[in-house]
Amino acid sequence: MLISYKWLQSYVPSIPSVDQITDLITFHICEIESVEKISNGDTVFDLKILPDRAHDLLSHYGVAKEISSLLGLQFKEIEYKTLISKATDLKIDIETKNCRRYMGRIVRGVKIEKSPEWMVKYLESVGQRSINNIVDITNILLFGLGQPVHAFDLKKLDNSHIVVKNAKEGDILELVGSEKLKVTLKSTDMMITDGKNNLAIAGVKGGLLSGISDDTTDILIEVASFDPVSVRKTARRLSVLTDASKRYENDLSSTLCDKAMQEISSLIFEVCPGALFEEIVDIYPSKVDERKVIFTTSYIVKNLGVNITDEAIEKILKNYNYDFSKSDGGMFEVSIPALRLDLTGAHDFIEEIGRAYGYDKVIGELPSIDFERKDSSVWGQISLAKRKLAEDGYREVMTYAFTDKGEVEVLASASDKNFLRNNLTDGLKESIRLNTLNLPLLDMKEIKVFEIGTVFVKDSEEIHVAYGDKKNVVEMSLEKFVKENVPHEFEGRSLKDSSQGPSLGFKMWSSYPFITRDIAVWVPINEDKEKLKNILKELGTDLLIKEPTLFDSFEKDGRTSYAYRLVFQSYDRTLTDEEINPIMQKISEKISSLGWEVR
Amino acid sequence: MESNNKGSLHPLTLVTNEAVSIFKNLGFEVALGPEIEDEWHNFDALNVPKDHPARDMKDTFFIKNKEGFVLRTHTSNTQIRYMEDLVKSGGNPPFAIVVPGKVFRNESTDATHEMQFHQIEGLMIGTDITVAHMKGVLLEFFKRFFIGENVDIRMRPSFFPFVEPGFEIDLKRGEKWIELLGAGMVHPNVLKNCGIDGEIYQGFAFGIGLDRLMMMKYKIGDARFSYQGDLRINQF
Repeated sequence: MLISYKWLQSYVPSIPSVDQITDLITFHICEIESVEKISNGDTVFDLKILPDRAHDLLSHYGVAKEISSLLGLQFKEIEYKTLISKATDLKIDIETKNCRRYMGRIVRGVKIEKSPEWMVKYLESVGQRSINNIVDITNILLFGLGQPVHAFDLKKLDNSHIVVKNAKEGDILELVGSEKLKVTLKSTDMMITDGKNNLAIAGVKGGLLSGISDDTTDILIEVASFDPVSVRKTARRLSVLTDASKRYENDLSSTLCDKAMQEISSLIFEVCPGALFEEIVDIYPSKVDERKVIFTTSYIVKNLGVNITDEAIEKILKNYNYDFSKSDGGMFEVSIPALRLDLTGAHDFIEEIGRAYGYDKVIGELPSIDFERKDSSVWGQISLAKRKLAEDGYREVMTYAFTDKGEVEVLASASDKNFLRNNLTDGLKESIRLNTLNLPLLDMKEIKVFEIGTVFVKDSEEIHVAYGDKKNVVEMSLEKFVKENVPHEFEGRSLKDSSQGPSLGFKMWSSYPFITRDIAVWVPINEDKEKLKNILKELGTDLLIKEPTLFDSFEKDGRTSYAYRLVFQSYDRTLTDEEINPIMQKISEKISSLGWEVR
Repeated sequence: MESNNKGSLHPLTLVTNEAVSIFKNLGFEVALGPEIEDEWHNFDALNVPKDHPARDMKDTFFIKNKEGFVLRTHTSNTQIRYMEDLVKSGGNPPFAIVVPGKVFRNESTDATHEMQFHQIEGLMIGTDITVAHMKGVLLEFFKRFFIGENVDIRMRPSFFPFVEPGFEIDLKRGEKWIELLGAGMVHPNVLKNCGIDGEIYQGFAFGIGLDRLMMMKYKIGDARFSYQGDLRINQF
């Protein structure tokens, strides 16, 4: 959610600097994905609002309320213009249980024009293009207060009648927007209609025909509250995910409608002083009950592990403007503001108090906990099997659970491999093939690998062990492997934990091909064995990717023959024979100059 | 012969074994669970309701022709199974478990994202287990895991449906803070769903990405190296 610093400032005039707000939000409200200074002089925060607060913090109003409450600063509500309204013919009927509230108001004699500068700037800050005064006002409500509102062109309606009901199966509606998207509706989709025609998909998007155009003069304002699951299902099925549907699917309090209707009316009056406002029609079938939560100071202390006092809690609640009472023994009874749908029980106040108080005040301590420990026997078997195979000279690999054939399939994978492996052997054979190509790089005489992992067969999964080499791969269940291959004396010993000390570094391999060269040299029998190796290392240059490997040696007639394998590889290019031949030439010359002999 | 025929373990196994060993030392026992899981254990029991935006926080692989089953998106499914079994066998908290294992997310892969990766999940429940204990355990874990380094952790408010309050935990190594794991106090609904009385018992849960720990510990730059069957990664 993009949040404009200047927009916040309109609610909290004494808001601290951008830097201070950045820290405040990060450690007391939510994660910030980015902070950006933009060309209109504003600074924009991209806040990661998670589902627990998406009903009230996907708005400048909500975020500003948090900031003022955390800091104990004054919060400035918008002053609404007083309007005189005339009688109305508007009739609203709700024929679905998924519409919790529908407020409508007819405004006549509006003039579609450019928006005032402040609106254009606020919208620009949150990445919205200004369209015209009426459409912009609906967006100001959406991003400011967090309440989606809609404006219909009244003259496009059959009459002054709104019916909220489900669509007829197969109805088609063309939506507003440059994409000219036509959607086919289902009987579970909630629609705003004029009794005859579909005008909009409730909570998702308006239809093209009833939208505001340059010659619109009379409008119908919709401020409504819809069931989150209904909106979510429709929006997702149609893949029409809008800023409005995002807010509705996260649940909005129906009480927000009152404020939104006042604010939108006031803003329209501000930009169209000549407009005539009719009375508000408010159909509100399911009013929400007032909610109270009771918690004690000791409960908060017992969960946070911090000695927070009654007075500290009282101060936090006061700064948040909670309506609460406090009784002896640090018991608080809090009336939950209608917009705070996330606060449902005492446990929610651990966070509400904790994050305001500051999690940095929590000092870590180690618990003492006494119970009879019994580690998973499967875990024990996995550890044993891995150790046994490693001691038998096998190296562990891990391969993908996803393959292109198998018995269990997943839906809609992001990759082309939609099946789960039903054996480890296929992956292991591929691993052996790959590693065999790299054998000269690996300090191994032959490739011997193993994998332990889950395989998936129809209706069950099983942990398997597979191990093998170029000639043969053996696979069986973990249980069978341990039973048949791991001797008892193995069990008492523990597996070596991770290696040595802290400063280990992984050496990335080169993605270019390597070249191997073998060289055998006759050296006097009493000569230091290391001397030849050092010559090879030195003259082999940096292109030697690893230490020369001795693969053969024997003595004859007072001399020793050493056969070394040299592996050359570059990190930035493919090596050629033309590059390696001179290196080998130099090595041979050096060896001859010492009176040794290249075989 | 200089070429050796010694076996070796995958660095992810080394890191997993080390993490498990530290947590065992801190009083946890090891539990394991299935990789294909029903939606109750992967979502509903963990207070992630159907048709709720919180369910979208994880990109889930659903199993074809097996409605109600998914590839687990976290090892938290095993929390639920452990607690259900405990209650069924007449047991009660306190207890502390860690669950290492493979998990799956349906997302496109890059250097830090894989469709399969490994997690170690922790759960400690008692009558008096606090946020301070959570911080104590995690700080001690990182001190031992990055032994010889100066480490610290800090908590930021966050949200995961199965905890309340929920935290993002940042780790400081040297001068730099990095976001590393999610944690929180187990939501009373989760305890209730397993038949444990949330009025009496409380505690914390956390989930750490083991691939991430491996990359940090061994300075491996790409998560995708792990699962290619390539022995060049076995350097330790």
